[in-house]
Amino acid sequence: MKAKVEFKNVYKTFNMYAKQHEKLLELFSLNKRKERKEFMAVRDVSFKVYEGESIGIVGLNGSGKSTISNMLAQVIPPTKGEIIINGQTSLIAISAGLNNNLTGLENIKLKCMMHGLKDDEIEALTPDIIEFADIGDYIKQPVKNYSSGMRSRLGFSISVHTDPDILVIDEALSVGDSTFAQRSLEKMNEFKKRGKTIFFISHSASQVKSFCEKAIWIHYGELKMFGSSTEVQKEYQAFISSFNKMSSEEKKLYKTKMLGQQINHENQKQVGNVKKSVKISELLTNTFLIGLTLIFGSLIVLGY
Amino acid sequence: MFKNVKEIIMEQIKHKDLILRMALFDVKSAYQLHYLGTLWQVLNPAIQIAIYWFVFGLGIRGGDPVDTSVGEIPFFLWMLMGLIPWFFISPSIIQGSNSVYQKVNLVSKMNFPVSLLPTVKIVSNSFNFIILLLLLIFILMIYGFFPTLYLVQLIYYIFCLIAFLFAFTLFSSTLATLIRDFQMLLQSMIRMLLYLSPILWDPLSKKVPDWVSNILQLNPIYYIIEGVRDSFLAREWFFEDPLYLCYFWALTLTFLFIGAGVHLKFRKNFVDYL
Repeated sequence: MKAKVEFKNVYKTFNMYAKQHEKLLELFSLNKRKERKEFMAVRDVSFKVYEGESIGIVGLNGSGKSTISNMLAQVIPPTKGEIIINGQTSLIAISAGLNNNLTGLENIKLKCMMHGLKDDEIEALTPDIIEFADIGDYIKQPVKNYSSGMRSRLGFSISVHTDPDILVIDEALSVGDSTFAQRSLEKMNEFKKRGKTIFFISHSASQVKSFCEKAIWIHYGELKMFGSSTEVQKEYQAFISSFNKMSSEEKKLYKTKMLGQQINHENQKQVGNVKKSVKISELLTNTFLIGLTLIFGSLIVLGY
Repeated sequence: MFKNVKEIIMEQIKHKDLILRMALFDVKSAYQLHYLGTLWQVLNPAIQIAIYWFVFGLGIRGGDPVDTSVGEIPFFLWMLMGLIPWFFISPSIIQGSNSVYQKVNLVSKMNFPVSLLPTVKIVSNSFNFIILLLLLIFILMIYGFFPTLYLVQLIYYIFCLIAFLFAFTLFSSTLATLIRDFQMLLQSMIRMLLYLSPILWDPLSKKVPDWVSNILQLNPIYYIIEGVRDSFLAREWFFEDPLYLCYFWALTLTFLFIGAGVHLKFRKNFVDYL
């Protein structure tokens, strides 16, 4: 069977800037600083997921779950390693990427448009989306007037109806009430039956257990466990309860220790994948054009 | 060498339907919360034209016509030929440069070619421009300036205008996303450019020394606005000043190549820079 999603030794690091101007220098790759502080949000994560599987992703706050979900949705690229995705992904997060100044209806239209749907398709889908989101007359109000639950319901509803192959749900259900969660789970089960792949990030152990057959436990950026969801949940819950038993001093110590491992003081920068020769020809073209502009410009100023 | 530019342009061509639909949507939703709705699209320029004509035409010039190589032209008409392109240029540059920053949150959650965003803004502003341009031809006819063969080159100058706006906003939208100060700088530059372009006063008049008007010609908007006037007033063909033509295109291509380069380099990381 062909893997739908494959992570091969994926790393994601974020640069930690002490000052705003360091960011600026970095931009123009002028930063010659010897020491570079990097935060490794995801470290050496590899897994394979097949069609029709639903995977729960669990972990503490700040352990890198959202970074992984963003990489799954191809929103951010990995720093190192390879991600192979066969199909169209759709990410649903709490801040579902709605435009606050537009009304619900306009958001539906805009988002569907940007997903590449045609006008008649959008028109056909709109009643379904509104019904599923269960927003009522508010659909004609600007999204900024919505409650957070309504927002996430609308976001979820739109993303689900654009018919993605791979669905990534990043805690989007936790704000909805239980009836909406129930409806969403039904919808997701329907997706599963149609052979789609679902990634489900949630703090709710019961939702993960009931819905996902497999689970991934991310612990401070590393993949701690990948297996059947009951097993992973058992281990994870065991860790949680042992962690909760620690005194607050011990907790703090543990966190600093683990976070310390994620900070990297490496000297060398990751070598970009741009070939040197491409860069030089680009530089030559740009210099040539700038030169030409300057020559013509000075001729004009001199009054020729 | 041309890979970057080709990739960006192919993206625009491939998604041309999407650009048009998003632009139409943009126009429709822009004035939605206003009571007068789309009427503002005409009302807004009309108010500005009235005040500029009042201050510069009546106040400063005292109603004098503008001297050009084809005789005297009423200031009102002369100004309109500059202001109408300006009403297209200024919002296109400001909104186009801000478009990526504004939408990056929306766009980053899906696989959407970010390079379309500035183009959408240019297209959405061009609807208004076309209407005002037709209106201008009509007003000119009322004053007795009928279209000549020279009007054909208006197509060339509109092409110049769109090429320049596309190249510049591609570059500036990337930069404005990475460095927010750039957007502020651009906004004050645009305000300044209105007075440094031949829109409200004539840099070619005898009162202005030659070296000043030569320097002012470096502004690419100068090229376009004077070109538009050439077309309406049957003054000159666009190939009669080859040096200026070469300068304009060299500048536009510089923006296009550098813009395409930086856009492709940073587009994957836009979210990281927020």
